[in-house]
Amino acid sequence: MDTTYESIRVSSKANASPSILIAIVYIFKKELTQFLRYPSWFVSMLIWPVLFPFGYVFTAKALSGPASSGINTFSALTGTTDYVSYMIIGTTMWMWVNWMLWGFGSSLRREQVLGTLESNWLCPIPKTTLLFGYSFFQLLYSFVFMGISLIEFMLFYNFRFTGNPLLALLIIVASIPSIYGIGFIFASIIMWVKEANSMVFLVRGVITVFCGITYPLAILPNWMKGVSSFIPVTYSIRSLRAVISAGARIGDVRTDIMILLLFGVILMTLGILAFNYTQKKVKETGSLGHY
Amino acid sequence: MSHYAIEVQDLKKEFAIKKKNVSFWKRRKENKSFVAVNDISFNVNKGEIFGFLGPNGAGKTTTIKMISTLLRPTCGKILINGLDVQKNSMEILKNLGTVLAGERSIYWKLTGRENLKYFAAMNGITGKKAKEKIDYLLKRFSLDKRADETVEKYSTGMKQRIALAKALVADPPIVILDEPTSGLDPQSARNLREIILEFKEEGRTILLTTHYMEEADQLSDRIAIIDHGEIIALDTPKNLKRSLNKSNTITFELNRWNDVIEKELQQIKSIENINSYFDENNRKWEVKVQINNGNETINNLITTITNSNIKINNFKFEEPTLEDVFINLTGKSLRE
Ligand SMILES: Nc1ncnc2c1ncn2[C@@H]1O[C@H](COP(=O)(O)OP(=O)(O)OP(=O)(O)O)[C@@H](O)[C@H]1O
Ligand SMILES: [Mg+2]
Repeated sequence: MDTTYESIRVSSKANASPSILIAIVYIFKKELTQFLRYPSWFVSMLIWPVLFPFGYVFTAKALSGPASSGINTFSALTGTTDYVSYMIIGTTMWMWVNWMLWGFGSSLRREQVLGTLESNWLCPIPKTTLLFGYSFFQLLYSFVFMGISLIEFMLFYNFRFTGNPLLALLIIVASIPSIYGIGFIFASIIMWVKEANSMVFLVRGVITVFCGITYPLAILPNWMKGVSSFIPVTYSIRSLRAVISAGARIGDVRTDIMILLLFGVILMTLGILAFNYTQKKVKETGSLGHY
Repeated sequence: MSHYAIEVQDLKKEFAIKKKNVSFWKRRKENKSFVAVNDISFNVNKGEIFGFLGPNGAGKTTTIKMISTLLRPTCGKILINGLDVQKNSMEILKNLGTVLAGERSIYWKLTGRENLKYFAAMNGITGKKAKEKIDYLLKRFSLDKRADETVEKYSTGMKQRIALAKALVADPPIVILDEPTSGLDPQSARNLREIILEFKEEGRTILLTTHYMEEADQLSDRIAIIDHGEIIALDTPKNLKRSLNKSNTITFELNRWNDVIEKELQQIKSIENINSYFDENNRKWEVKVQINNGNETINNLITTITNSNIKINNFKFEEPTLEDVFINLTGKSLRE
């Protein structure tokens, strides 16, 4: 029996393990508080939705030719003449993925450089909790962004829903696990390569080319179509367009939603595995706090 | 249950060093490795302040990171309160309050209070219990008046204190501090040292690293001197210095000096070295004598000098410092 231990130990009873849910809420709150202290972000949040599709929409207008002859070709490929909605759906999804990548890339990397990542690592919580905390903050951000985009699209681009907005929302929700699964894998890679920018450009580039952000996939060569079918964002964009512009019903997009959910399960699992592996690796190399 | 707070056995950390300019295609297995911590063993008693003293790059931070679960040892074993660090990392973390990068370990864009709230929640403390704890810590570290300002506006000393408060938020029995006073002005450093001594009075065990020998001397119950990843001495500061008593320096100011006396002195067995020089300005001799067996020699020395009709104007006995201990062990200065 060791009595010295009890008498020396400061608090006689050990703290309970922290609740993961509460930890996620606090990580979320911390991210939000820090974010709101930089109001300049808010301006870019307002400007980007309008500015970003602008170039594409006007390129399309220019190419549509006299008496909009080009529109016929476009409509034959896509089933809609509303190329403006077509493009802003693509660019909005692109922006979502883009914010997500920057969000994960910069917050993890920033904490790694500043030294606070190690402080979090010293807390008795599973480290994946951190990723979930960041994700929820990112998600809030993305939804606010999409909300602002929607209002601005209606004001500036005369955007209207043909189909059911709730079905569109369902597709977005079904895309969440896939997109954040990619985010988790991405976050793991960032901790390895310790460089966010080039990685963001790489992933974003792949999505720009293969997911049909501004053009129908039908015009891609076959091998590229093959690649596209392995990226979940392709299905999100395709089904969103079908619902919003062509008025597709749930029966029409059921397969796409199923595919998205399946991707979600796979990518989330891979993401968590990748992060756990990185966590081990980083303990060997000591790169948790390197800068 | 173990009597030691921390037990470290044959601990080693080898980092792989990747060559930077090897091209991607021609990657060969010519990776080198670097041993940052080489087979060290030590135990930290419950309730003591254990100091890790060593120059830059000695392996202090690496050791501390292995103890606080941030780094996996290449080999060796670490027990905290008898629990294996590798196997029980969550349980271990509940027992440790670690401050690694000092002021950099907290969020500068959050206020002091927000920081503490956040880290309390990450340690499972929320609600009323958290509020009471945080109010207490803010007051204790004299941060309560500026608790609601963002940390970026704090002075370095305040940042260090909020980092300490953060480490204390879960009331850990063991506190680990990496260079807690680096970058602080003397007054703030003194305050911080007092805080560390208070931790000890509360019954906490403290492991701290430093490359300031005065700090190690003043705070630590025991000190491990580490260099090139190895512990080269481990004892109480007193014993470490006493071990050097064999080689003290005595400086005399004399009115006269010559080779005959010098030869005579050299007959005394325990005298190691004599250095004399004539100070032109003050017209006096300064003679440094290094002796190697304690104080008996001093009597002999003085008798010989006075018997030669030399007047001793002044006399200085230099006690060794930890710096001397380090120089004696490694042949180089701690500050190099
Ligand atoms: N992650 C790492 N990868 C490779 N080498 C490392 C890594 N971390 C530390 N080292 C090397 O290991 C040695 C010991 O570093 P460490 O940070 O433990 O020293 P220290 O005693 O804390 O010194 P300082 O007083 O500078 O903080 C150094 O030479 C350092 O360059
Ligand atoms: Mg160090």
